[in-house]
Amino acid sequence: MKWFSVEDVSNLWPTVKDRFDERLPFRRASLNNKTRNPVFVENLNAEFILTTDSRLRSRFPQEQSLFWFREPYATVVLVTCEDLDEFKTILKPRLKLIVQNDEREWFIVFVSRAHPSNDNAIKSAKKVYDRVQVEFSTKKRERCCKFDIHGPEALFWEDLESKIMDCVRNTLDRRVQFYEDEIRKLSEQRFMPIWNFCNFFILKESLAFMFEMAHLYEDALREYDELELCYLETVNMIGKHRDFGGVEHGDDHAALLNPGNKPLSQIVQDDSFREFEFRQYLFAYQSKLLFKLNRPFEVASRGYSFVISFSKSLTSHEHKLPFCMREVWVITACWDLITASSSQYKAGLVAPDIEKEFYRLQGDLFSLGRVKFMRLAYLVGYGNDIERSPVNSASLSMLPWPRPSVWPSVPSEASSEVLEKEKLILQTTSKTKHFGIQRKELPLEPTVLLREANRRRASLSAGNAFEIFDGSDRSGPDGSSKSPNSQKKAGVSMSRTFSSPGNFEGSPDRPMRIAEIHVAAQHALQETISDEDLWKSLSSVEEFEKKYLELTKGAADNYHRSWWKRHGVVLDGEIAAVCFRHGNFDQAAKSYEKVCALYAGEGWQELLADVLPNLTECQKMLNDQAGYLSSCIRLLSLDKSLFLNKEREAFQAELVRLAHSELKDPVPLDVSSLITFSGIPGPPLELCDGDPGNLSVTVWSGFPDDMTLDSVSLTLMATFNADVGAKAVRSSTAMLKPGRNTITLSLLPPKPGSYVLGVLTGQIGQLRFRSHSFSKGGPADSDDFMSYEKPARPILKVFKPRALVDLAAAISSPLLINEIQWAGIVVRPIDYSLKGAILHIDTGPGLSIEKSFVIEMESCANLSQTEPDTPNSFDSQNGSPTANKQLEQLTLEDGKINFPDWASDMDSVIWVPIWAKSDSLPRGSSSVAPPRPNMVDGMRTIALNLEFGASHNQTFERTIAVHFSDPFHVSSRVIDKCNEGTLLLQVILQSQVKATLTVYDAWLELQDGFVHAGQGDGRPTLGSFPLAVSPTSKGGIIFNICLGKTIDENGAEKSESIVNIRYGISGDRTSGAHPPVAMEYSGSDASRKDLTFRSVLVLQRPVLDPCMAVGFLPLPSVDLRVGQLVPMKWRVEMLKDLEDKEISKHNVLYEVNANPENWMIAGRKRGYIPLSKKQGSRIVISVLCVPLVAGYVRPPQLGLPNVDESDISCNPPGPHLVCIMPPALSSSFCVPV
Amino acid sequence: MATTASFIIVSRNDIPIYEAEVGSATKREDAAQLHQFVLHAALDIVQDLAWTTSAMFLKNIDRFNDLVVSVYVTAGHTRLMLLHDSRNDDGIKSFFQEVHELYIKVLLNPLYLPGARIASSHFDTKVRALARKYL
Repeated sequence: MKWFSVEDVSNLWPTVKDRFDERLPFRRASLNNKTRNPVFVENLNAEFILTTDSRLRSRFPQEQSLFWFREPYATVVLVTCEDLDEFKTILKPRLKLIVQNDEREWFIVFVSRAHPSNDNAIKSAKKVYDRVQVEFSTKKRERCCKFDIHGPEALFWEDLESKIMDCVRNTLDRRVQFYEDEIRKLSEQRFMPIWNFCNFFILKESLAFMFEMAHLYEDALREYDELELCYLETVNMIGKHRDFGGVEHGDDHAALLNPGNKPLSQIVQDDSFREFEFRQYLFAYQSKLLFKLNRPFEVASRGYSFVISFSKSLTSHEHKLPFCMREVWVITACWDLITASSSQYKAGLVAPDIEKEFYRLQGDLFSLGRVKFMRLAYLVGYGNDIERSPVNSASLSMLPWPRPSVWPSVPSEASSEVLEKEKLILQTTSKTKHFGIQRKELPLEPTVLLREANRRRASLSAGNAFEIFDGSDRSGPDGSSKSPNSQKKAGVSMSRTFSSPGNFEGSPDRPMRIAEIHVAAQHALQETISDEDLWKSLSSVEEFEKKYLELTKGAADNYHRSWWKRHGVVLDGEIAAVCFRHGNFDQAAKSYEKVCALYAGEGWQELLADVLPNLTECQKMLNDQAGYLSSCIRLLSLDKSLFLNKEREAFQAELVRLAHSELKDPVPLDVSSLITFSGIPGPPLELCDGDPGNLSVTVWSGFPDDMTLDSVSLTLMATFNADVGAKAVRSSTAMLKPGRNTITLSLLPPKPGSYVLGVLTGQIGQLRFRSHSFSKGGPADSDDFMSYEKPARPILKVFKPRALVDLAAAISSPLLINEIQWAGIVVRPIDYSLKGAILHIDTGPGLSIEKSFVIEMESCANLSQTEPDTPNSFDSQNGSPTANKQLEQLTLEDGKINFPDWASDMDSVIWVPIWAKSDSLPRGSSSVAPPRPNMVDGMRTIALNLEFGASHNQTFERTIAVHFSDPFHVSSRVIDKCNEGTLLLQVILQSQVKATLTVYDAWLELQDGFVHAGQGDGRPTLGSFPLAVSPTSKGGIIFNICLGKTIDENGAEKSESIVNIRYGISGDRTSGAHPPVAMEYSGSDASRKDLTFRSVLVLQRPVLDPCMAVGFLPLPSVDLRVGQLVPMKWRVEMLKDLEDKEISKHNVLYEVNANPENWMIAGRKRGYIPLSKKQGSRIVISVLCVPLVAGYVRPPQLGLPNVDESDISCNPPGPHLVCIMPPALSSSFCVPV
Repeated sequence: MATTASFIIVSRNDIPIYEAEVGSATKREDAAQLHQFVLHAALDIVQDLAWTTSAMFLKNIDRFNDLVVSVYVTAGHTRLMLLHDSRNDDGIKSFFQEVHELYIKVLLNPLYLPGARIASSHFDTKVRALARKYL
């Protein structure tokens, strides 16, 4: 609060006071801070008081310099005068007096009471004011202002404010200067013995106070900071033993935010202050200023470090302080800081970084308070209700016990409490972990409390305590095992050993029992703690838990807000533990899941191993089967060393039990972490399209014991086509041993492509498990692992569909029809085994398999094997291909042939005896009946169906064509017509097969109308048998026949002639036609059975017998020209006597046809010519023609309309075209030279 | 040599890839887990601090009663964390630097998958020797 003294000269103050006060506080001011930099401050508080005010009079002059800050900042001289003379005589001397004697800043406010309507008054007031200005204002400084009571005010107030601010600024500067000088002087003497901190403090604080009043909080804070530094230096000065303080009642409650906790006079000591109170006092002021600066974050941050450092000081003075004073102080300090800073903190106003930091500090404060609170609770005996989790253990087990000079002992009247406590201890059963996990519980105490407490008792020497303790501690040879279990047992057993009734308040030498320690601590704490809230929290287990939960939640929330997820989540786990204890499994499971996710995600397995069983237990309680099972899996997949083998077996047993009994519905479960798999090293399995196969997969089982899987299936992913999903392969039951297993899975025929391992799925009881991970080794499921992922190795390759085998006819040349022939089928496997293959043979129409004969199968030279590419084939070949030429006789069963083993990999030929039947006799060709080439006639088909592959899954179907034909094609012609009427008939035999045919005999059966010439028996005239006909060559036989009629005895008329040929064949089945099958086995040449071939020959009597011939006589050799007369001549000749013809008349009608445009015919175009009917009579018809156009033109034609065209032989009848030249040039147009 | 020291290498995915108790004090059985816990919690602090400085060595970032956590952050954000009670900052710094070198050698091993657990016994021996030398 700033004061401005008002020197009310003209007794005006009562009238203007209200209007002055209205202007307060000053809204905006510019002041100089300590470094003389202008600072704008707002809402500056001030008060106008009269100089006669009592507050100004009570000062002792000597105090004035020190408490100068309380002096008014400026004097306002309030004056009015309407008369110039009055001013000169009375007012001026008085004002001079006031102004001269005052060191303060001053200025004069001239109040004009003149009414605006009163011009005279205004004028005179103005005159006076001018005079005042002349007298008191200087050039440098304007010290006057005029206040018109009735006039407009705005200008005046502005003026006034600026005047006041000038004064304030000047005063402040002057005072700061003064204090600084003083402080400097004192500081210089700092290391002198006479130096007094209190004096220094007073100056400093006065300065700080002044700054604070001037709203220069930054400067004030700096002063306090400097003061603190200085104090800490003095307090730590060696050689000065000072009282620490903190022993008064209520000191345990931290006063670090309560500046007015104790008056300074109470804490002053010698030349300084007591540390305990004074440091808190300083901090309180600092925080007050910080709050005013709106920096609660800094309060928290300074507060936290203050608590830490102050706690250290408390530790060093602990022996003088009440029991656990330090802990209590820290707890209350933290709580106060949290409440104060969070209430002042407004989220969103500061930078995100600061905000984060603020929450982090809140979390730290919460967690610090929480730890100390737990420590107290443990001392009081609530240790069993504190979860022995890593976070609690880490904070408590490294935190030393309080070290009072003497450990409190049990008050005499508390024996009943001790009994009660003991009962409680006996009742608490140590919590057993789920699955019977035997884990050393984490300690909550740095050393065993029993030993520590007894050691610190004054009456008991340390050695004694050890002896006692060792006597009862059966923890093991190392003697360092301090598991709480053994400790508890020790406590209990001790209590038994020493529990004789009424022995509680026995000799002080007797070591205390644990219950007694708790009771003693409780009583001692009650003494210490003045904070009711805290004491209430420690009064019962329920209250403790409430507070504990509150603190933990606070810490967790704040850590979460500050993005310290690890801290936050871990504390969530602590909340979960409490929820779990109270049966709130749902909440517990949720929180535990968070913790587990954190540890699992970051791979801190040891920590995970601690929490996961708890989560598992929760899930069991909640009947969350899926979660429970997956937790079991996670437990199993943790590092083996983290659990005993027995425990791991228990996990597995639990899993199996659930899977087989309790589950109603199948539960899916991801076991990627536990069951991993990979392909067998080496090249991938290669399969042809459509083939099933067996895929071996290595499966690692992380189960500690054998595991029976009801079914296993594996999906394979196609590498290049994601759409083509996966192929599942299955196997029935599989037993997984711990560690490496090899499982063989049968593959369903997959689509072509290459495959990588996909997902392993399977079933254990009702449990559907699936595993994604390929192999153990790198950290699974992490980003790193993904980026360094090994290229997926194809495990299976299925080739595109391709020809695996080829079936073809062995020969392409025709076989003999109507004879049993070997038809060869070449079977050529193409890099594919035909083991166990079955060939179905189905013959087409007109073809049958002779079942009475065996089928032969023989190997043939394999083209691929003859290539010297692989040494393998050479070895197996072992010499020439003929060396191991296989021949085997097979039988046909139901149209099927089973392949022998040797034929599985090599080319082979199957010889099948077949018989193509053709009922029709072959027809020979002649000029009369030209040959009709028809391949279809001799074509027969064999449908083949080969089943092969591992499970006969592959089939190959082919219909092969076998060509059959007669041995010969017979054609005939009459080569000559002899005079006596005999005809020489040449029968030409053309071999149609690829075999040498030998004709032994041939005879001709003639049709009606023909007879053998002479008395022949139909045999050829020239017997040149046997006649060998090579393949595709021809042979000819000549028969003598003549036209004539024979009366057959039967009366039947034969319309066709038949040529019979007895022949033999010598050929190889590998090249074409060959002797019929039966013959081959009939033996030697002697019993040769000749074959007979019959072919129809059609002979025809001449049907056309022209009796007249018309001939065109040659044209004259000269060129024909247009307009030139050309005689056209035809000769008509009777070829034979026309007895039976219809041309009865002697005259033959002729007719010349010509195109009238081309020709002009000079003569008779049509007329009769006389012609005798005798053979050889002839006549020439001559007609004159004139060509009319040049060019090639058709000549006139002679026709005989009365004679049947068939009776005319006109070959050639005349030229088709004749060349007509243009007319010759007329000479009459020529000019003689 | 420090009485208590726990050394751990944390990969950039926060996964511990190497752990060693290198203190000379007789081991408390529960210590390993507690040390792990402390170091794990300190990751929160490293995460904040690592980006505020260009120095690799962040000394005394966390304090747990008498134990102090010092961290060395490599360029690849692998963190070498040491929980120790000694105050020998120079020694710790040298220790970190040499372990960093060892770690780089491990990384150069083509068979080592970055981010995987370091199982090399040679590395372990060397680290322990360094701990004896510097801590």
